[in-house]
Amino acid sequence: MTMDATFETSSSAPKARAMPSVGSVRIINHLLILTVVLGVWELASRMGWVDSLILPAPTAIAASFWQIAVVDRLMWWHFGVTLYESLVGFVVGSTIGIALAIAAALWEPFRRYSAPYIVGLQVTPRIALAPIVIAWLGFGTLPNIGIAALLCFFPPFLNTLTGLTAVDRDCLEMFRSLQAKKHQVFTQLMLPSAMPVIMAGLKTGMTMALIGAIVGEFISASEGMGVLMQRFTFALNMSGTFAVLLALTFMGLLLFAIMEWLDNRIVFWRHDARMLEITRRLNAKNKA
Amino acid sequence: MSLVQLRATSHQGDGKVIQSQIATERVMAQPYAATRQAIEAQQVEKRFGSVLAVENASFTIEPGSFISIVGPSGCGKSTLLRMIAGLIPKTTGSLMVHGSEVTGPRGDVGVMFQKPTLLDWKTVIENVLLPTKLKGRVTDADRRRAVELLHLVGLQDFAHAFPRHLSGGMQQRVALARLLNVGTDILLLDEPFGALDEFTREHLNVELSRIVAEVNTTSVFVTHNIAEAIFLADKVFVMTPRPGRLAAIVDVPFEKPRDISLLLTPEFNALVARVRNIFATGKDL
Ligand SMILES: Nc1ncnc2c1ncn2[C@@H]1O[C@H](COP(=O)(O)OP(=O)(O)OP(=O)(O)O)[C@@H](O)[C@H]1O
Ligand SMILES: [Mg+2]
Repeated sequence: MTMDATFETSSSAPKARAMPSVGSVRIINHLLILTVVLGVWELASRMGWVDSLILPAPTAIAASFWQIAVVDRLMWWHFGVTLYESLVGFVVGSTIGIALAIAAALWEPFRRYSAPYIVGLQVTPRIALAPIVIAWLGFGTLPNIGIAALLCFFPPFLNTLTGLTAVDRDCLEMFRSLQAKKHQVFTQLMLPSAMPVIMAGLKTGMTMALIGAIVGEFISASEGMGVLMQRFTFALNMSGTFAVLLALTFMGLLLFAIMEWLDNRIVFWRHDARMLEITRRLNAKNKA
Repeated sequence: MSLVQLRATSHQGDGKVIQSQIATERVMAQPYAATRQAIEAQQVEKRFGSVLAVENASFTIEPGSFISIVGPSGCGKSTLLRMIAGLIPKTTGSLMVHGSEVTGPRGDVGVMFQKPTLLDWKTVIENVLLPTKLKGRVTDADRRRAVELLHLVGLQDFAHAFPRHLSGGMQQRVALARLLNVGTDILLLDEPFGALDEFTREHLNVELSRIVAEVNTTSVFVTHNIAEAIFLADKVFVMTPRPGRLAAIVDVPFEKPRDISLLLTPEFNALVARVRNIFATGKDL
């Protein structure tokens, strides 16, 4: 009895009251840690503990960023080029990947006879194909799109194939007992069942596409963030290089946010909040 | 062929108590159809390679009756049910549903599985409407009918919820509503509540007997719980394993609808003992 009572008061009640402040305490902690890290970094640079050619001070990086992004507006064109290459490469790579996976999932002979090549391609470090792609596709943005697509291809392919072939047997049987047609089984059961896994593959594919685009720009290109970065490093302008890196982090965040947003919309049944929202909306609509 | 019609609801009092009425009309095509059996099996056998899963089963099931198939794990209950459903082919023998040989899944037989097999991305009512959607367009009348069925299984307040937000027992109710929406006059139920706790299962069994009496269908119910089998059924098919054999068919004489208190009567327990004895000796008394 008493044990229960103390348990009640000590755990649930104060917790409920403390709840809103936990979030803000965390944010404050994060900011504190960030400030300390940046402060030590700045100090290390100013005191000459590390060479500014190796690690420029945060303020120097910020100044460079300001210069490149706002004053010279040098960065935006390159930012756009890299973003464009990544996105187009992503769309091309994942479309081919998903299409091939669907063919392999629905058509057993294709799956069987393509498997050795798929494995072969999978174990080959695909980044090593980059020079070949450049040799084939020439100069400009095209080879970089090709490399982005090449790197992006695998995760969506494998995930789609796994998702489509791992559909619940009982559900398949249920569709069969309802005399569903083949295309109905595919569109109404297999594809939606596989969708969460496909989306996970697309998220990884997106990251890979960005990597591919940058690597392509490193190897041979005249524009893009990779080019800009190399230009700064060759000129020993390390704060400029880090500023570009920072911008790439933003680009990665942007792409990540887009994928998260899509995931929330497309596979809403994996997100409790989204499901509750839909239920609430439908209930309200039906009352009206 | 049958036509399940749903009659209008009558809202009583503040509208909380809603009675749904489902009437099954059997449109008899042939003059001799009245004597036709719902399911007729003659020396049906099923082999999986060298495994004899069902050995020489012969039985008839009358339209409108409730049959329980009871037996230990691996005795071929699911196999028999899946053959009736046309999901797997029999090896030998003759198996007729409504007077025609079973060759594949068919429109007049519905199946419910141990797992709810609901689609996570569809709301409850859309899951119930799945059979309709697979056949064509979903009309307003179909939607009203689905709402009726949700009333029937007591889930009217959850029409727009998603399966993941329901308990296991509620999910099976949705599966039952979906099965009833198919509008078949034969329901095959393979341990539909087997994965649920005993309280929920008992409750759902009582609900099930009420519902199937209301929709007036032929039901074949698989279980490995003897009391459950007897409580629900007009006849209990007792199966014994290795090889799967239909050892006996036991008539259940108790009046319907049955109350849960039946479980405590000596007559009921005598019948349980009789079925138990069949498992022990392989023979009926
Ligand atoms: N697809 C299959 N391939 C091979 N053997 C099978 C297959 N399905 C069932 N069997 C075998 O047939 C026998 C009967 O299986 P079945 O699933 O019908 O048993 P059950 O009575 O439903 O058991 P449970 O109560 O555990 O569900 C078992 O020995 C099983 O191993
Ligand atoms: Mg079984």
